[in-house]
Amino acid sequence: MQQDRYLDPHQARRRTPTEWESLLGDSLERAFAAGKHELAPIVEYLNHAGPPAPNGVPWTEDLLQSELARLAETA
Amino acid sequence: MIKIDSPDTLLANGLKDTWYAICPSNFIADKPVSLRRLGMKLVFWRDEAGKLYALEDHCPHRGAPLSRGILLGDRIACGYHGVQVRADGVVTNVPGSPGCSLEGKRAARSFHVVERNGAVFLYNSATNVDEAPDFTLPEELVSDEYAAFLCYTEWRGDYRYVIDNVMDPMHGTYLHKQSHSMAEGSSVADFGVRDTEHGFVFEKKGQRGVNFDWTEWANTGLHWLRLEIPYPSTGGPGGSFAIVGTYTPISENLAAVFHWRCRKVSGWQRHAWQFLYRNRLEARHWAVLEQDREVLEVMEPDANQRENLYQHDIGLVRLRRHLRNLATEQFEQLKGKTA
Repeated sequence: MQQDRYLDPHQARRRTPTEWESLLGDSLERAFAAGKHELAPIVEYLNHAGPPAPNGVPWTEDLLQSELARLAETA
Repeated sequence: MIKIDSPDTLLANGLKDTWYAICPSNFIADKPVSLRRLGMKLVFWRDEAGKLYALEDHCPHRGAPLSRGILLGDRIACGYHGVQVRADGVVTNVPGSPGCSLEGKRAARSFHVVERNGAVFLYNSATNVDEAPDFTLPEELVSDEYAAFLCYTEWRGDYRYVIDNVMDPMHGTYLHKQSHSMAEGSSVADFGVRDTEHGFVFEKKGQRGVNFDWTEWANTGLHWLRLEIPYPSTGGPGGSFAIVGTYTPISENLAAVFHWRCRKVSGWQRHAWQFLYRNRLEARHWAVLEQDREVLEVMEPDANQRENLYQHDIGLVRLRRHLRNLATEQFEQLKGKTA
């Protein structure tokens, strides 16, 4: 049945998130909730709690910044 | 097109000579799109360069919908008899009867349209005008310091119920108690009204940055409302987020609802918020907005005729009175013009 009005819960995202992206979202939210609001402690938290960075390399501040910039555009 | 026979009919269908948001930009692509808004059926299209145009979706010859016609850049050839209507409302060609008196006449209703912040805006002029005055959007949608996402929805009911809802911060404490961002704040409050350059702020006294504590209404060529809600700590650095809303009647029983969720963030924090918004926050915001939609849609159309208002309602009382005054003034002017 055709919907008689526009009700779309997902208007910002470009596609269904990948599992890795959702794990990263979980981890970022936990880091923020723990009061980690600077890059260094967030990187430390991600390297401890996961998920690993793409290609399995450890997170660095540069890598986190470039991944967030990429995800802000593509996710 | 609805006949405006009272200030209430005018207000119910949207004030004239005011800008209104119509739809998200991506609703209009390579084909004419017919949308009912503001007491009319309108046709929107783009030329090959992507420029937007709007006419009443009504051929001045016999009234067939122009949206069923053939696009010719800045004009449409009606699908019924090929009558060509330009975006300024002028009939440029009547192929079946060349030279007839309809040719050269500005016989169709035309409207100025622009795109900003992901939405199409239309100047709801009372008559065809060559130029439309400019309008301004609030800082959150203009400044590079903010990032914003548009959420567009259509809700059953009069658009003025949506305005009332936003001009009523206290409902956040109750309706949105179970939400990701509005669990804090006192359940009793005293409110005050403060004038601004273009409107007024309705705010809780002695509470700011705790919950949904204030709403601003303004008219800057377009009527908009603005409010701020603190994010929980999981939202990361950047403080509260702001919502800018504007509302447009589709019909008596349907409203076009525009909300931009905005946050003052830059650098990696901006990217983190944008990622989290797309990945998860949008769904949580949606759940909160659904709480509003569900309660508004079960209200009777005449619920606002049987009210017992109290101190928390002075913001919406003031705004209703202001809008009513604008509608009355405009109705008297329009009546004078046609008399």
